[in-house]
Amino acid sequence: MQRSTIHPVVSSALVALLLCAAPALTAAAKVGEAAPDFTGTGSNGKSIRLSDYRGKYVVLEWHNNGCPFVRKQYNSGNMQRLQKQWTSRGVVWFTILSSAQGKQGYATASEENDFLMKEQAAPTAALLDPSGAIGHLYDAKTSPHMFVINPQGVVIYDGAIDDKPTTDVNDVPGAKNFVSLALEQAMAGKPVETAATRPYGCSVKYADSH
Amino acid sequence: MLAFCRALTLGFAMLTCAAPALAQGTPIPHGTLELIAEKQWVSAGGAVDLGLRFQLDKGWHVYWINPGDSGEPPRVEWRLPSGLRVGAIEWPTPLRFQTSVSIVDYGYVDSVLLMVPLHVNADVEQAMAHIGAAVRLLICSHEMCVPGKAQLSLTLPIKSQAAAADAGTAGLFAATRKCLPQPWPAKWKFSALDAKDSFVLSANFQQIGRRIAQAIFFPLAESQIENAAPQELLPQADGFRLSLRKSDQLLRPLDRLQGVLVLSRDEAYSIDVPVSMPAAVRKQSR
Repeated sequence: MQRSTIHPVVSSALVALLLCAAPALTAAAKVGEAAPDFTGTGSNGKSIRLSDYRGKYVVLEWHNNGCPFVRKQYNSGNMQRLQKQWTSRGVVWFTILSSAQGKQGYATASEENDFLMKEQAAPTAALLDPSGAIGHLYDAKTSPHMFVINPQGVVIYDGAIDDKPTTDVNDVPGAKNFVSLALEQAMAGKPVETAATRPYGCSVKYADSH
Repeated sequence: MLAFCRALTLGFAMLTCAAPALAQGTPIPHGTLELIAEKQWVSAGGAVDLGLRFQLDKGWHVYWINPGDSGEPPRVEWRLPSGLRVGAIEWPTPLRFQTSVSIVDYGYVDSVLLMVPLHVNADVEQAMAHIGAAVRLLICSHEMCVPGKAQLSLTLPIKSQAAAADAGTAGLFAATRKCLPQPWPAKWKFSALDAKDSFVLSANFQQIGRRIAQAIFFPLAESQIENAAPQELLPQADGFRLSLRKSDQLLRPLDRLQGVLVLSRDEAYSIDVPVSMPAAVRKQSR
């Protein structure tokens, strides 16, 4: 055991920190690799398996209704517009709620259905993931955190919804939307120019968060 | 000496730059914010440090220049009279928040002073500078985040003679400076290697006997290091190696590794070193 000249209180704090910081990180979704398959339950009660949608583009939208970054996208109508625009072009859109019960962003099926109706949101389905299993599978860090998966089941985008990492609704109109760009470019047979960015938002309120 | 840098425990890291509470400040969600100056006036042709003084309610934090996996750093828009300009914020060494197993953020609790140098042209004629700062910020607890805005102002005389210290604020600025990351000691050498899935930061102290038991690297930019990954520390005879897992969002090689290396409550160093590729890879790329 090495002796340390560091003050003992700090030393134990550091040790506590390092122990706390030793997660069992599972294989997360990575751009260019196969999107991890999952089965989840929609707020409509249906069981949804990602691999059933092979052959279509799929968008995953991590969501927490209380988060100001999410509110920016919904209050402006932007998220709803994107959902309608892309689902009408055959893209499958899953809104995913990985907040644990009792934490901000958690919703029961009927609460989520009320939300979808009130907000006029139009995802293909809203998946309820309070255990965080799907969130951890994708290493979803924030709400929103967006993924785009191509018809071959490969992740082609992972990150922020756009290039204005703020809570200001005025930043929506001028923002470069990375999800739309990835879909447009991939559908045109071009490489996705911006395939990964830092997802910005509030931290996902996993069961283990503190 | 470092009375204002103190360690916190249990999931929060190492250094914080807290300062005694002052009475005033513009309200922000869960705290107050004020714009102060280190001196009583500024001289024409001179400079003075301004400071954005955050005082936060218990349980709430604001973010570092790189907020980490979530959050957003404070943003300032300055309104300055002509002939005056400000430099960049000098960010004190942040804390590391283990928000969840896979989410790590960087920021400040209790109170923090973000210092900003103000420069005044020599030919400025007005006797008073009316300085405005529009601040947008995000303040979060472990449960939620709240955006906030503050319009701050400060009137500072401009005189020809060198400025006198402001007794009310001088101590705070001096203490905060000690919490800024420092250049590393001249004898030390640092280098960084691209090791495929991670970067390896190597330190050489040029002497045997200095043992490092802990080290934490705070990346200055987003999407370079996996913030939540453990940073494996390998002590060497004359230094150490620190392994930093790459971020999944890092799709291109990195030219330089920039950030803050914290070794103890008294030691936080600014790191800015080129990243070299391993020799085998360099040969293949010819």
